[in-house]
Amino acid sequence: MSALTVGGVAELLGTAAVAALIGGLAAVERKGALQLMLSRPIVLAPLLGWALGDPRGGLVLGVPLELIFLGGVNLGGSLPDNETLLAAALTSAVVPAGIFAGTGVDAPLAALGLALLYPLAVAGRRLDRASETHNAQLSERALASVARGADRAARLNLRGLLLPFAVTAAICFACAALAPMLGLARGACTPRLASGLTGAWHAVWALAAASAIRAIRDPRAPAFAAIGFGATIAAAALLRALP
Amino acid sequence: MTGAAQAARDPRRVSPATLLRVLWRSLFLQAAWNPRGMQNLGFAYAMEPALRDLYPDPTARAHAVERHLEFFNCHPYLAAAIVGGAVRLEEEVARGAAEPRSVSAFKSALASPFAALGDGFFWLALRPAAALIAAVTEPYLGLWCVALFLAIYDGVHLAVRAWLFFAGYRRGEGIVTAVSHAHLPQIIGFLKGSAAILAGGIAGRSVVVAGLPHRPWHAVLIAVLIVAMAALLPRIGLTAALYTAMALGLALGGGFL
Repeated sequence: MSALTVGGVAELLGTAAVAALIGGLAAVERKGALQLMLSRPIVLAPLLGWALGDPRGGLVLGVPLELIFLGGVNLGGSLPDNETLLAAALTSAVVPAGIFAGTGVDAPLAALGLALLYPLAVAGRRLDRASETHNAQLSERALASVARGADRAARLNLRGLLLPFAVTAAICFACAALAPMLGLARGACTPRLASGLTGAWHAVWALAAASAIRAIRDPRAPAFAAIGFGATIAAAALLRALP
Repeated sequence: MTGAAQAARDPRRVSPATLLRVLWRSLFLQAAWNPRGMQNLGFAYAMEPALRDLYPDPTARAHAVERHLEFFNCHPYLAAAIVGGAVRLEEEVARGAAEPRSVSAFKSALASPFAALGDGFFWLALRPAAALIAAVTEPYLGLWCVALFLAIYDGVHLAVRAWLFFAGYRRGEGIVTAVSHAHLPQIIGFLKGSAAILAGGIAGRSVVVAGLPHRPWHAVLIAVLIVAMAALLPRIGLTAALYTAMALGLALGGGFL
């Protein structure tokens, strides 16, 4: 796939189109088709990052996002935040921005992108709700057609995939097209602000760890997590103490 | 003998090729998930190839499709067993060996317990455990951690889904006994315990990384932040937690505090 070079509008649009296609397909895979977990942030971000020229940059974003949304489960009618929309949009914006700025996906850029784009995870719930309303209409149409004797009414099922695909693809396209602006913002960061944003990214990891512990819905989880925490700190201390 | 030829000879049995088409279509069970019928459209869509084999008469086929457009909601993976069982029951209905309402009764009896089982195993145990294994190994495996996540999760998921579908088709209502022998509650307990230890390990790693190089107070503050967020997350919600944490991190990292 293509890596973004400075000044290439056509290349930028090509990058945006790739981001749109992969983001749209991920939105479909999330709930409507297959559910092979290709749309989870830990898979989607590196995959999209690869398509945009920096798979490792995608992985930098994908791992903490996966942990933050580890407990988000679509049970019955409840809707969790849309982690796929956020992961797709964030990767579409941050990976090309890192290439544009020449920094790659570093902690300051990742924190800046997440702070700007996180509301998309919440907005994604509205997209999910709108899809459900649209699907309810499809279901009504199918029932009406089958009552008239049409035996192929169930094929309307696949039309339910169109809305999440189209909306997510459009958002990813816009994010990738605006990536150079994010790259410029990263380039304009003072060393002190960059250090602050690095601290913010550490805090994102802290939240990711806390969220992962909360995601384990088991009364023994805090005790087991404390064991894992203690063992890691002890191992790190031991390694430092070794000559 | 081809599947189509077999089906032509015995119109009251679905061919192996049709069974595979039903299995493939069951992967789109939630394409048109909606609050009224939930997975109704997806279920009817999955059943359509089998109903085409079993009911050559379009009116009878339309009635059969209508049966499957009724309310249905289950875990999308565990539903494979119900789809397989429904195909078996439809064969019996087409032969006149069972009443059409037995199909609906079968679906509604199994949907809720299988949904609870699937949610507990796949969403709340296997997926967190697989993701945490990938996250813990990421510093050592790099991008291969993604392949590890998919291998663990989909290795189990796809095998279980295919097994459930064919077991449901072969055994019909007997699928309940087969699933009950899988000892899922014990496996769920093991996966959750392992996942919690790994989540604690990631918390420890976050503290160690924040403290480097020579910033022990950053490490302490990140540790406090992890404990505070773990305690407060259910009350303040993810959005407030994220922006609060980032603001604190920004102030700390930029020396604004």
